[in-house]
Amino acid sequence: MRELDLTAVKPYADHLDDGLVQLSFTLPVPYSLAARRAALELAAKMGYEEPEVVHYEGITDGYTYFVMYGRCSQTVDFSILQGEGFDIEYMSEDEVEHFAATHLGRRIVVVGASTGSDTHSVGIDAMLNLKGYHGHHGLEGYRCFETYNLGSQVPNSVLLAKAIEVAADAILVSQTVTQQNLHVRNLTELVEMVEAEGVRGQMILACGGPRVTGELAKELGYDAGFSKGTEPQHLATFIVRELAARTAAPA
Amino acid sequence: MTTTLGELTASSRRLALVGLAKNTGKTVALTVLLRELESQGRTVGVTSVGRDGEQRDVIDSRIEKPRVRLAAGSLVATTDGLLRASAVEHELLEEPGIRTPLGRVLIARLRAPGTIEIAGPSAAGDVRGVSYAMLSHGADRVLIDGAVDRRAASSPDVSDGLVVATGAVLDRDLEQVVAQTRDAIELVRLPTVENDFATALADELIELPPRFALAAEPEQIALLLREHPEARWLPLAGALPERFLEALVQPLRGLRRELTVIVADPTHAFLARHPPAWYSRQGVHLRTRERIRLQALTVNPVAPQSHRFDSVRLRSLLEEALPGVPIFDVLDSGYAGARPPAIHTATEAE
Repeated sequence: MRELDLTAVKPYADHLDDGLVQLSFTLPVPYSLAARRAALELAAKMGYEEPEVVHYEGITDGYTYFVMYGRCSQTVDFSILQGEGFDIEYMSEDEVEHFAATHLGRRIVVVGASTGSDTHSVGIDAMLNLKGYHGHHGLEGYRCFETYNLGSQVPNSVLLAKAIEVAADAILVSQTVTQQNLHVRNLTELVEMVEAEGVRGQMILACGGPRVTGELAKELGYDAGFSKGTEPQHLATFIVRELAARTAAPA
Repeated sequence: MTTTLGELTASSRRLALVGLAKNTGKTVALTVLLRELESQGRTVGVTSVGRDGEQRDVIDSRIEKPRVRLAAGSLVATTDGLLRASAVEHELLEEPGIRTPLGRVLIARLRAPGTIEIAGPSAAGDVRGVSYAMLSHGADRVLIDGAVDRRAASSPDVSDGLVVATGAVLDRDLEQVVAQTRDAIELVRLPTVENDFATALADELIELPPRFALAAEPEQIALLLREHPEARWLPLAGALPERFLEALVQPLRGLRRELTVIVADPTHAFLARHPPAWYSRQGVHLRTRERIRLQALTVNPVAPQSHRFDSVRLRSLLEEALPGVPIFDVLDSGYAGARPPAIHTATEAE
């Protein structure tokens, strides 16, 4: 039996370290043997060893869909990623309520919005509104949270004014980040306005969006970043834990 | 020009580096400064409000970033995970109790030279704290690297001097890059408020209710001006959003009056649509209580994955637009200071 080496982790299919990956994609070329060869060549260029087309079909005129296998020769060092702060053990809704009652003993005020020109409020609605997401309540449905959802296209200064007015513990913004500087600027502007108002130490700042990672959140100056797959209790867990940590050791 | 970034910024114990956007060459300027200070035998403390020395850009992964190599004896504020991942031998000095999305911040002294990713505290107050801590542990100079276009670390509360990085990435049009840089520098160099503000009479001042500048609608702003017919000064404690400033323009013109808006320092003013000079022409003057010491402007003539400009031409246009500001391209062969490490070989360092 091979031993798992956490410094060199690679994909697992049938046995440890076989590196086997299944990938699927569409090429904008007609269903043909040439299309199949194109897919094989592309997978080889992606770095897959022994690429293999296991299924392909024409999905409409001029487009071919592929399912492929290939062996990934790359590895990642998991040992240095462990414990880097983005490993959070999430609590359930009941556990969050219990934790908040025990450690904080008051209602936690959260203000959220989609800011700037962003018209997508679906992310913020999923996190804050009662209906929630994926069968989980949004924060509005928790006893320990008092939430304000300001909707979409909210100017940063208006969001911040509301947060100060209701003495928010956390501000949540959602923004679709693209390679355009505009979106990034809007996210950094909020952080800088919070600084200018002198309330940075009193508020947790969290941002969410399809491309938001912990690394991006750090660069933008937020305390946390949430991406696709985040459920409301993940956000709730982060907020109550962070608030408890700040209460225990004020900065 | 024979001076170097290191010489020019020698009077700043705490120096902030701020970019006007991502990929304006901030980290390259940092690596050059580090080499120059190392060759002078200075002990340097480094922190970053974002993340520095990462291999690839966080938004566009096609862009390779410069690595940051620190001398033995350097002090650094970064996260526990990044310190461990660097595998550089170090002595742990303090754990200031600051959490970031990348982990807890630690302050350490390196026992050996090495390449390291730097992610210190984000909040300005925490940056001030770790800067003092590194100075008290023996750093001669503290370098505070910015992130994206964040300016808070350049506030006089946090740092003693500022280096701004600009570059081709701002626009495909050279003239636009010069214009946008000029506007941003004009904001950084906002003059402090005139002496007669100190002796202003009560009815010459507008005192705003809480949060008014953040959330007021144009009609409320117009009403406020009518209620203060003698007002010349409008001091602000917090942020000055552009929508507030814009809403002052029309009613002031109607009343044939001028007004001076005073902020704590330039990091409190948020202008994206018009520069301070434009507002001045409309009768709305911007002043600060404290100024920022701008020490140099660095220029990156290359926009990664896009276009590039002639470095000499870009610098001469900027020098024309910004008299009195020392301007450097640290990658240009004419630069008198240290040579930065080449990006493609830097990944093999260590």
